[in-house]
Amino acid sequence: MRERVRSIYEFIQDNLYLNRPDMTVGDKSFNSALLFSLLTALNRGKELIIGEPGLGKTTSAEYIAAMTYRLPLGLIWASEVSGHPEQTEEKIIGRPDLGRLNQGEEMVVWSYLAQLPIKIVDEINRLPETKQSMILDGVDRGNWEYLNDVIINEEYCLFATANYQDRGTNTLIAPLIDRFDVLVESRHPGPDLALVIGMKDKYENILRNPEYEREFQKVLLERRDYHEKMQLIEDLCDRFGDYMERELDLKMLSRAERKEIRGCMQGLPLDLDANAFLRTVISELSFCYKYGQKRSDEHCEEGCHYTGFLCHRIKNCISNRFPTSVRTYSQSLAWLAGDEGVGIEHVKAVLPYAMAHRVQWKDDYVSQKQVSNRRDPLQIYVAKEAAKEVSKRYNEQSQHIKNALAVAYQALSGKDLKPIEGDHPVYAEIKRDIEEVT
Amino acid sequence: MINPFEDFREYPYKKKEIPLDRIVRAKEKIMDEIVEGYLKLVEEEVKDLVWLVEHSRLVRAYSAAIRTVEKLDYDIDDIEELCLELDREGRIPYLISGPAGIYLSALCNNAGEENIRLRLHELKRTFHFLGYRLPQGKTLILQGDVGDFIGAGLSGGKLVVEGSTGNWAGAGMMDGEIHITGHTGRNMGEWMGGGEIHVEGYIGGIGKSIRGGRIYQQGNLIRPYDRTTR
Repeated sequence: MRERVRSIYEFIQDNLYLNRPDMTVGDKSFNSALLFSLLTALNRGKELIIGEPGLGKTTSAEYIAAMTYRLPLGLIWASEVSGHPEQTEEKIIGRPDLGRLNQGEEMVVWSYLAQLPIKIVDEINRLPETKQSMILDGVDRGNWEYLNDVIINEEYCLFATANYQDRGTNTLIAPLIDRFDVLVESRHPGPDLALVIGMKDKYENILRNPEYEREFQKVLLERRDYHEKMQLIEDLCDRFGDYMERELDLKMLSRAERKEIRGCMQGLPLDLDANAFLRTVISELSFCYKYGQKRSDEHCEEGCHYTGFLCHRIKNCISNRFPTSVRTYSQSLAWLAGDEGVGIEHVKAVLPYAMAHRVQWKDDYVSQKQVSNRRDPLQIYVAKEAAKEVSKRYNEQSQHIKNALAVAYQALSGKDLKPIEGDHPVYAEIKRDIEEVT
Repeated sequence: MINPFEDFREYPYKKKEIPLDRIVRAKEKIMDEIVEGYLKLVEEEVKDLVWLVEHSRLVRAYSAAIRTVEKLDYDIDDIEELCLELDREGRIPYLISGPAGIYLSALCNNAGEENIRLRLHELKRTFHFLGYRLPQGKTLILQGDVGDFIGAGLSGGKLVVEGSTGNWAGAGMMDGEIHITGHTGRNMGEWMGGGEIHVEGYIGGIGKSIRGGRIYQQGNLIRPYDRTTR
């Protein structure tokens, strides 16, 4: 199955979303936007794709969605929600069945977005902040409510795109942005690949099939129980998948296969270095010597002993969703690479993309980094620099940190051991865990 | 209660020791021994709850202190650390100035180093008897003000006080030099048998029974008066 997933990646990379590789994991190079979109689709994640208009933000997500969920491209287009100020709940989630309503019966006609496992919100930052809240629940739990009705998606993933700030954009609300697992940039592919893209017929797409698209839409519009409809949709996916296999000589993934892949990914353990490194990162992003933890409304002072660590450069506290994102995407990456467990390299590769949108850096620190020579957008660049910095610190004292964690286990299990001291927030947090319990 | 370190259950832990830990532990051991020696001396000397400055008592206390410190492996830093401990009143339950000074002097006289500098200017207390019986070949520099009987019984060493002293400085000194950059109190040089005392500041009073040696104030010889000795 891993080979099939790799084939999907390679097929899209070679035929549909032409771009340069911009990250390396082990000895393999990947394009981050494409790789993380694929992992998002496989592990039911949520991805925010940023970039200049016309550089394939939505397109990359559409291709990945079509090929991992066996849905025709036209159906995906029909299910997409565009972010604009006049967008309504009725278009995003569902509307009353007006025919039935006239007969005094309250029924909901669910939107394609709410029903389908693939959810693409285009230009999400053009939605006003009040309307961003509207999709929070659906985005978070796959739980869509309208009138007195509710549907719950068993399997779903979210792709949202955002342009850089301009007059027409709003700020993404903090609770919503924190729900995205990763942030990637869809970049300009360079003039040569751009010309190759320009030479292609933009109206012809191998992932489109109007006949199947009509069939899918017919099922989605039927007045049936949601679970029954999903079974019919899966049957249609099987047929469309067979068709695609004949056309492209490429076997895609069924729902059961995706589930099996997720099981394999979740079964991959984090090795001790990956585990200790992630703890080290979290400690730097949440620790405050003076106030106990980072809080957006409290500012640490100059002269603190921990000024050399990330905690001194950030405003907010990292959320509990962050380790979940890093863990799931690292597991996905390790599975795709064919590794038997998650190592520190996988965590390091994922870290900047899981951190970039969640960490609010202090203005003076951002100003310093803004003018640096770089290829990444500022958010990702700063996150990469921070990840590199923590990684260096971890490498210098990995044995000591692991030892401190092992001693902490023994101390909390009742042994008379004192916490190991060291010059890093991780030791202070370990000490606190031990002393506040014992 | 969940153990958040469960993942590290099997990791072979050890209380890793960095060189500094070892140094600190060794230092603490030495300091424990030094403090123990001091407390033993005090226990012996203040049985009567009063410690009087008597010649026989001084000799006995000094001999006991020397016997204790000879067994210890210490350096100047440890002597200075003891001064701080005596000043802090934390680790040492009681300070008796006389035995404390005798003990510090025994430590200085028995130390391996020839030149000893004690930084005392930030201490709240002043110590008596520092430089007691300082032997030939040793230089003891005391930075800050000090108490009574400084350099008493000096035995050929060089004692420099960068500050002022109390009364009885150089009492009974036999040989060597005492240099005081500040002032000094009464009875300076009492029972002095030899050596030199140089004072830069004011002298509260010179002892009556001076058997030998010379006393200078701001470079001028003020004792003995005899013209032929000048």
